[in-house]
Amino acid sequence: MIANLRQSISDWIFRARVPETPPVTLVQRRIFILPTRQGYTFAATVLLLLVASINYALALGFALTFTLVGMAGVAMLHTWRNLAHLKLRPGRCDPVFAGETAQFAITVETPSTTRFSIAVRRRDEEAVYADVAPHGMTAVSVPVVAQRRGLLRCGRLEIFTRYPVGLFHAWSYIDFDLRAIVYPRPDPAAGAPPLHSRSDAEEGIPVAGDEEFNLLRAYRPGDAPKLIAWKALAREQGLLTKEFSAMASSELWLDWNEARAPDVEARLSVLAQWVIQAERFGQSYGLRIPGVSIPPARGEAHRTRCLEALALFAQ
Amino acid sequence: MKTPAASPHLDVRNVMWLLAAMAFVVAPHLPRLPYWVDAFFTLIVAWRAWMAWKALRHPSRWVMALLTIGATIATLQQYRTLSGREAGVTLLIVMTALKLLEMRTQREVTLSIYLGFFLVLTNFLFSQAIPLGLYMLVCVWILIGTMVGFNRVGSTPTLRERLKPSAMLLLQSIPLMLAFFVIFPRATGPLWALPIDSRSGMTGLTDTMTPGNISNLIKSDALAFRVHFDGPRPAYSRLYWRGPVMTEFDGGATWSVPPIAPPGGISYSRREGRVNYELTLEPHNKTWVFALDVPAEPPPGTYVLGDLEVRDRRPVAERRRYEMSSYLDYRYGEGASPVLLKSLLKLDERRNPRTIALARKWAAEYPDKRRLLQQVFQFYNREFTYTLEPPPLDPRNPYDDFLFETKQGFCEHYAGSFALIMRAAGIPARVVTGYQGGEVNPVNNELIVRQADAHAWTEIWLEGQGWLRVDPTAAVSPLRVEGGVNAALGPIGVIPTLVAADPLGLLASIRDSWRAMNSQWDEWVVGYNSEKQRQFFMRWGAPSVDWQTLGVWLIAATFGLGSAISFALFIRDLPPRREASLAAWERFCAKLGASGLARSPSEGPLDYLRRVTRERPDAAAAAEDITRRYIEARYGAGASREQLRELARRVREFRPA
Repeated sequence: MIANLRQSISDWIFRARVPETPPVTLVQRRIFILPTRQGYTFAATVLLLLVASINYALALGFALTFTLVGMAGVAMLHTWRNLAHLKLRPGRCDPVFAGETAQFAITVETPSTTRFSIAVRRRDEEAVYADVAPHGMTAVSVPVVAQRRGLLRCGRLEIFTRYPVGLFHAWSYIDFDLRAIVYPRPDPAAGAPPLHSRSDAEEGIPVAGDEEFNLLRAYRPGDAPKLIAWKALAREQGLLTKEFSAMASSELWLDWNEARAPDVEARLSVLAQWVIQAERFGQSYGLRIPGVSIPPARGEAHRTRCLEALALFAQ
Repeated sequence: MKTPAASPHLDVRNVMWLLAAMAFVVAPHLPRLPYWVDAFFTLIVAWRAWMAWKALRHPSRWVMALLTIGATIATLQQYRTLSGREAGVTLLIVMTALKLLEMRTQREVTLSIYLGFFLVLTNFLFSQAIPLGLYMLVCVWILIGTMVGFNRVGSTPTLRERLKPSAMLLLQSIPLMLAFFVIFPRATGPLWALPIDSRSGMTGLTDTMTPGNISNLIKSDALAFRVHFDGPRPAYSRLYWRGPVMTEFDGGATWSVPPIAPPGGISYSRREGRVNYELTLEPHNKTWVFALDVPAEPPPGTYVLGDLEVRDRRPVAERRRYEMSSYLDYRYGEGASPVLLKSLLKLDERRNPRTIALARKWAAEYPDKRRLLQQVFQFYNREFTYTLEPPPLDPRNPYDDFLFETKQGFCEHYAGSFALIMRAAGIPARVVTGYQGGEVNPVNNELIVRQADAHAWTEIWLEGQGWLRVDPTAAVSPLRVEGGVNAALGPIGVIPTLVAADPLGLLASIRDSWRAMNSQWDEWVVGYNSEKQRQFFMRWGAPSVDWQTLGVWLIAATFGLGSAISFALFIRDLPPRREASLAAWERFCAKLGASGLARSPSEGPLDYLRRVTRERPDAAAAAEDITRRYIEARYGAGASREQLRELARRVREFRPA
């Protein structure tokens, strides 16, 4: 409750136009700085040193105290400067299956010297640290566990640093509206796509089950590595590709109505598993769910398209 | 506040750095601490290093508790207290070692580093000399380097990446440090009472004198007191600053102050030649105040004893100032009590028999006291040498040994033996210790008296004349009294081995510069107090120097230097200035844009020019001129400063109707 309130106050104080158009440069007014707990302890230490120096009239004690005061002041500038003028861009956010960890990446670029220990974190989660060297971009990926299928928004990220001496915490907020697509968690119990979901036109062609192949043919570039007959290769029969009987038949429709499951999410999980299976076997497959119909095809792009359709179903 | 990021586990290299830094800081303490403390610290640090190296487990809480209790008891056992300088430092070192042993989180590391800064300060309780100051600067450098190391999360810094940021931080903090050092208001006294042993530099005279103890003092350059004379300064040879007067003689070597101070109330038959002066006494934790000859009236808080010693009512534990006046021309004590005079003849017949015998022989030969004194001076003058490195003496009969065998000595040898001869010859005599001469600072005409000016002489009582000062050292080395120790001893007295092998005098001149630097350091850095601060600001024409003024100065310096440093740091980060030609071109485009003929982002200069020529024939000539110049400057052979200025001027004058 308090945490929520704090978050919303902080959101309000540090509000930024969302999403921001990349690249975002961390200019002066975007960077905030406050002492850390270490910094406050340091201040207390310096105060004690000062009292001791006054009491014992220690000239070098004064020198030490004031050196540390000056050092802290300069350290504040250095900490601030460690963040200043960094150029941020959104990075890749690859899709993941529900239950996996999505990586939200931003790239950081420094216009001048190397910036050490630049950290990025999401709210109060664990931070990811990186050194940003000049000439080039440094990608920093913030891991977020994807709980549910759909569109996972990263939300506002905090980019901060405490380098060089940890007395100050300089930070800035950045919100590129990063999103990652979360596919439904594949249902391992779903098994192979049902046979009768094949199109009627192909009926009559013998099928011996997906796991069994019925002929070997010469390898063609582009064949999936899974389909290569490694045993044959080991027997020095050359590079051969296994041709499955199911593959030999042409098309497979993965249908919403065929996936028997108690609820929508479970059904999507079954379909996701089927997409993966079909793709693995090199089968040409189509997807038919309420509102979406994707004609049969094969390949990575097609698989992504199908899984995305499942991920974003009814959202 | 923000929750800190999960602390990274303690990197072995970082831990090693921290341990090394702490060892460096503690090192100067080790020789002055009991052996068990040295062993304890070394072993614990070694154990911690081994633990980090081998990734061993930390000792259990029981072991820690045992060690803590044991170390505290051992400290108590050693010093019978936990306060006071030695005991406090011992306890701090022991506890730091234990903290290092148990630390496992980033927070504990931070605390340990801050403890390190404290340990740096404790070193200054013992010495504030230049070498220690420099050494501690290096220690602070390493400690900050350790902080940098622990704050480099995600990668391990190289040696350079630790020390360079640390050095930068230190260097950039120097201006602020200097400003604060000069401006920060200095208190005139301590905030609370200090234990007796709390200060360093408490060297000074003691209440006993044996051959050897003043010559040790003389090797110290430390300030004893400073004097400002109202009116002309008396000659060097008259500057006898009287300190403890020693009337008790153990018969062997030692002269000491009487256990019961002689009461005051002296009748003077003559007091002339009044001198007024202001004396600023460095703390020495004794009650002696050093005055010339016969003090007129004791300054507030002090009193005068029967032997003309001036004493403060409280031990001088901090710097004190006294308004004094003295008479240099005087006669007193003619009517001294026979009991007192008899006590000033005391000696031990069984010790130093040859000296006593010689003195009695002379006394019989020369009934006239003046002749007798002449004889004794001649004796000293003939064969004796004045040296800081006298050979050791026979402890049983030291003055016999000195007078008849070694014949080399320092002022306390002469004063002690002379007083003994006088007593043996039937003349009441006492030894006076104090300082002689001083050194005039040409800057402010102040007389600076250092421990090196410590001196011992004698006073004898003669019938009808009262007390007379006799300085036997003057018989041996008149220069000592007229020109100070260095004049008397030459460079050979102080660093004989070095200088003897230095025919060009190079080492001597280095040593002299070093000493000069040290005395400046002592005076303006170590001795920078409220008084010095006032002087400093007055010299720069500040109308008044109080807390408010200094506060304003402090704030001004903070802001001034702070902005200067920020500016110096950030100027490097500013985006590079755009090329002048581009700036001019953009202004040109903006002007045309304002008149409704904006350049589209994809349009090159020549395409744009074509469009401008078509749409605005009246401005065509000027536009073509500007475009041509721009293309030449930016894409062609470049442009000189004048050409760029010309381009800028033409753009300024360009008016797209």
